[in-house]
Amino acid sequence: MQHITFILNGEKQVVNADPSSRLLDILRDTLGMTAVKEGCGEGECGACSVLKDGKLVNSCIVPMGSVQGAEITTLEGLRDTAEGENIISAYSDSGAVQCGFCTPGMVMAAAALLRENPEPDEQEIREALSGNLCRCTGYNLLVKGVTLASERGKEKGIWQ
Amino acid sequence: MAVSYVPATFEEAVRIRRETGAVPVAGGTDLMVRYRSPAGTLPDFPWPVMFISGLKEMKGLFLEGVELVIKAGTELAVIEHSEIVHPVLREAVRQMAAPALRNLGTLSGNICNASPAGDAVCVLYALGAEVELTSSSRMRRMPIEHFITGPGRTVLKGDELMTAVRIPLHSESASFYRKVGTRKANALSKLSCTGFITVTENRIADMRLALGAVGPVVVRSAELESQCIGMDLNHFRNYKPDLRKQFAERVKPIDDQRSTAEYRKETTLNLIDEFFMLIEKELS
Amino acid sequence: MHQPINNDFLQKAIGTPVRRLDALDKASGRAIYIADMKFDGLLYARMIRSSRARARLLQVAVPDLPEGYYFISSKDIPEGGENRLYMITKDWRVFAEDTVRYIGETIGLLVGPDRNVLRDLEREIDISYEDLEPAFTIDEGLAVKGGPIHGEDNIFAEYHLKKGDPDSIFSGSYRIIEDEILTGFQEHAYMEPQGMVGEYKNGKYVITASCQCPYYMRKAVAGILAVDQEDIVVSQAITGGAFGGKEHFPDVIAGPLVVAVHVIRKPVQIVFDRHEDISFTAKRHPSRTRFRTAIDENNRIVGMDIDIAINGGGYQSCSHIVLQRAMFSVNSVYDLPNIRIRGRAVATNTFPSDAFRGFGAPQGIFACEMHMSHLARALGMDDAEFKQQYFVQTGGTTVTNGTIHEEVKLPEMLEKVLKASGYTEKNRLYDREGAAKAVGISFYNHGGGFTGDGEKEIIKARVRVSRDQNHKVTIYVSNVEMGQGFQTTACKVAAKVLGIPLQDVFFQNPDTSVVPNSGPTVASRSMMIVGKLVERAARQLKNTWNDQGAVEAEEDYVQPPGIEWNSTTFQGDAYPAFGWGICAVEVAVDPATAEVETKGIWTVHDIGVPIDDLIVHGQVHGGVIQALGYGSLEKLEVKNGAFLQNTFADYIIPTTMDFPAVESDLVENPYEYGPFGAKGMGELVFDGAAAAYAAAVQKAVDRNICSIPVNPELIMKLRQA
Repeated sequence: MQHITFILNGEKQVVNADPSSRLLDILRDTLGMTAVKEGCGEGECGACSVLKDGKLVNSCIVPMGSVQGAEITTLEGLRDTAEGENIISAYSDSGAVQCGFCTPGMVMAAAALLRENPEPDEQEIREALSGNLCRCTGYNLLVKGVTLASERGKEKGIWQ
Repeated sequence: MAVSYVPATFEEAVRIRRETGAVPVAGGTDLMVRYRSPAGTLPDFPWPVMFISGLKEMKGLFLEGVELVIKAGTELAVIEHSEIVHPVLREAVRQMAAPALRNLGTLSGNICNASPAGDAVCVLYALGAEVELTSSSRMRRMPIEHFITGPGRTVLKGDELMTAVRIPLHSESASFYRKVGTRKANALSKLSCTGFITVTENRIADMRLALGAVGPVVVRSAELESQCIGMDLNHFRNYKPDLRKQFAERVKPIDDQRSTAEYRKETTLNLIDEFFMLIEKELS
Repeated sequence: MHQPINNDFLQKAIGTPVRRLDALDKASGRAIYIADMKFDGLLYARMIRSSRARARLLQVAVPDLPEGYYFISSKDIPEGGENRLYMITKDWRVFAEDTVRYIGETIGLLVGPDRNVLRDLEREIDISYEDLEPAFTIDEGLAVKGGPIHGEDNIFAEYHLKKGDPDSIFSGSYRIIEDEILTGFQEHAYMEPQGMVGEYKNGKYVITASCQCPYYMRKAVAGILAVDQEDIVVSQAITGGAFGGKEHFPDVIAGPLVVAVHVIRKPVQIVFDRHEDISFTAKRHPSRTRFRTAIDENNRIVGMDIDIAINGGGYQSCSHIVLQRAMFSVNSVYDLPNIRIRGRAVATNTFPSDAFRGFGAPQGIFACEMHMSHLARALGMDDAEFKQQYFVQTGGTTVTNGTIHEEVKLPEMLEKVLKASGYTEKNRLYDREGAAKAVGISFYNHGGGFTGDGEKEIIKARVRVSRDQNHKVTIYVSNVEMGQGFQTTACKVAAKVLGIPLQDVFFQNPDTSVVPNSGPTVASRSMMIVGKLVERAARQLKNTWNDQGAVEAEEDYVQPPGIEWNSTTFQGDAYPAFGWGICAVEVAVDPATAEVETKGIWTVHDIGVPIDDLIVHGQVHGGVIQALGYGSLEKLEVKNGAFLQNTFADYIIPTTMDFPAVESDLVENPYEYGPFGAKGMGELVFDGAAAAYAAAVQKAVDRNICSIPVNPELIMKLRQA
């Protein structure tokens, strides 16, 4: 066990954990961040997506040993910001939410994309979401949701 | 339960490696998956590990003389977006996994896995990349094909860390890259094929062909490639069937859960044909 | 800030979209799924399973367990309790005893507080077997390889249907065209793996589960503990996708779980990880359908002899009902003369097959559509042109000699699909160019609700709608929200009837101690059957709206008039109404790699009247893409009884990049006995796309395709042949 210090959603956290434990387990079990879902545990589905130093990563394959000093953002840290709310509303209004299990990861993937590229085209959206599996929607309405978030976010000046 | 370390500096990593033989984990995209265990339990590593993704000294890429140096901890996403990286390597990296995984995974990790299906590794063979290995007492470098000896097997010593991939700068007349994955994105590859052709004065000055997932290691043949040097269009056309046959003899894929040996062989030969057509186009 | 819900549907058509009631909670990560719930003193359970496909179970050697750890097995079933799950039949065992029938059969549960300790203990459990000869395929099952698994002959069910006079046709001298169509296993791949928690509270066993059918689960497990069904309470947790995979299969988890709770009396959680979920849960039934079709001198079909067999795996579960659906669907949308159908559900030593969106219909329809397209090719005709000659019409006869009561809008729908896809022109052009490109088309329908008189005789749905003093309305049904949107559409129906904003209508979380039994969330019945009852209850409530205080209304299912069904002979109207669909898919096949690029997907559906346009299109897109996965990517092979593709890296479902957007259109065709004219749709939209895809590739490579998935390996093989 080791003390691991990192920033979670803007606040400093110190956890006592085995460096090989998964960030996902620490977020969910120790810190109560249950917006982060476990869909596969093998980095294939994206349900556990979080931002690590601003980059989208699968928290199920990130060992705590890699988190020392890092800045981690989960949906809990994003959902009440203008940026997070914009994506959440856009998905909700586009009919992109069905069973909802992939949706938190889809919000994180959209946030990572729109920060880099606030006006993505359909192909860019599809590429950005390509590591996030969804079995309900067939993806059409998710893609539309990201487009809507882009349009609304531009009006609101979210990425300026 | 395996012991795990988090070195704070590169020197510490080298020391831990020497003293404990701990296996370095960079992005974790392979090792954290291979040794995963149920939710709420620790990964099931069979040996001590050390997590090196926080080591800034191990990150970055730059040109040095006639080489591109990619330090071992550099994430795939960085390579994908860097303009000093060969476009075919960038394309191969772009087609690997998915954005979130490319933010974690490293090229060196890929090489150390020594999977014959590693797509970028196939490109590295064609580019003649070398790997740089460092221990507390020495540094050595060697061609990638000497480093990887079989599926999952390398000559990395118990006290060594891979510290960089060194890729000779290469400019060709035309290039060919195809990955055939299990699907269109976030896919492991069924096979891959990388080809470079350089033509001067209507003759082949350099030809390279590397084939992934059709044998225990990436297939590249210096012997067959060198036979093509100096050929003009007619010569190459005449030689082509024989060359194809000789490559075919080196293509020995297997059946697995992702594809069949038959499909891999047939498709690889079809892609070789496409590369040969490209060569003819360049020669005419 | 989030916008409030738009109630335009109160003034406009009911289909006018609203933001789903569950959307914001789910998208913001506030929705709590079973694995997110906190329980005091929670224990975790690992399932200990058979590693052999067929064997005598000689010994289960469990190490000495630390305090607070338990190994639960059949020995822990209390006196009077049965080691059987009461699903449709009572055959699936809670715990294996004496023998095992498939890899993954439950042998015991290892329970305790620390998951790392459980994992280590699990490795120390030593199970010894004496292997027996297993049967894995339909043929091996039929050949009773290794001796019978079920009964004398491994036949879970065998049925025969006859329409017209096939005997005289097949004793005649018509040209006979034979065919054999195969479909494989399919994994549901809901994003949330199976999971539930069991507790003992106030003298009752309370199960909180990711599931489709709370009342099914209650019935399945009560007999294990020899308690009344009312002593079991099942409460649905927010369910992260199901697709049929959480219809019966959760019973297989709940059975051992209640035994553990009975012994330990503490909350116990079982949540599968993905590897377990792919390896050790039920799949779609593989099928083999053989056709012998008689063609007369005018190139007309005069008779069809069909033999369907499905692989049921180690236990029967619902295989016989799946088989019925497959048989009733095997003439797709066609009214063909002189039909003989034999169907068999076969026992084997693979993991038991079970419900999956479509429930046999996708297999029957794929077989029919491919066979019809092979007939068209053999007779030198275009698929669409050939097939439309046989479209069933209103008043037409089904394979169970029932009648199509509703208006059939296939011609109008076909016109729309042909226009949107450019089917005719593109195929003509590609054919002329010799390009490996083509547009394929498929036709399909799906009967809504339980087969025959099942709703009346077996389910007997009841719903309740209440209004409290504050004029808030609550809907009480046992049908669950699992992603399909039923929470929102049910509330829309009530709101529309009552003329009140959607914000004032609530959907009671299904819990068997609170909601009446309106039946399972299956068979495309939730809106058509239960939604109608909600509509009726809301109308009843409207009459008492001005009363003081709280009021409530209940409604029971009534079968629509004119429906005749004999459940012994399977004669009559198998379904009161059908959804109808047409799908066109355009593909280009890579000459070097045989990889397929899908260029376009067009669908038109008749689902009566949509209760919410956006939800309906979402179902269409999702169902079609899931079906395209089934048709192209999702290979699931069995090797020595185990699934070979058992991770998401190897069991390949579609990503954002695999298929373009589905262009989805609807024709309205109100159904008198559905709420606001709605019919069932959740399964319909899965039924046809695999055949459209296969037909497109078939045309592009000019070879008959007889099996799915149509992957590059198959195409390469066909091209070489």
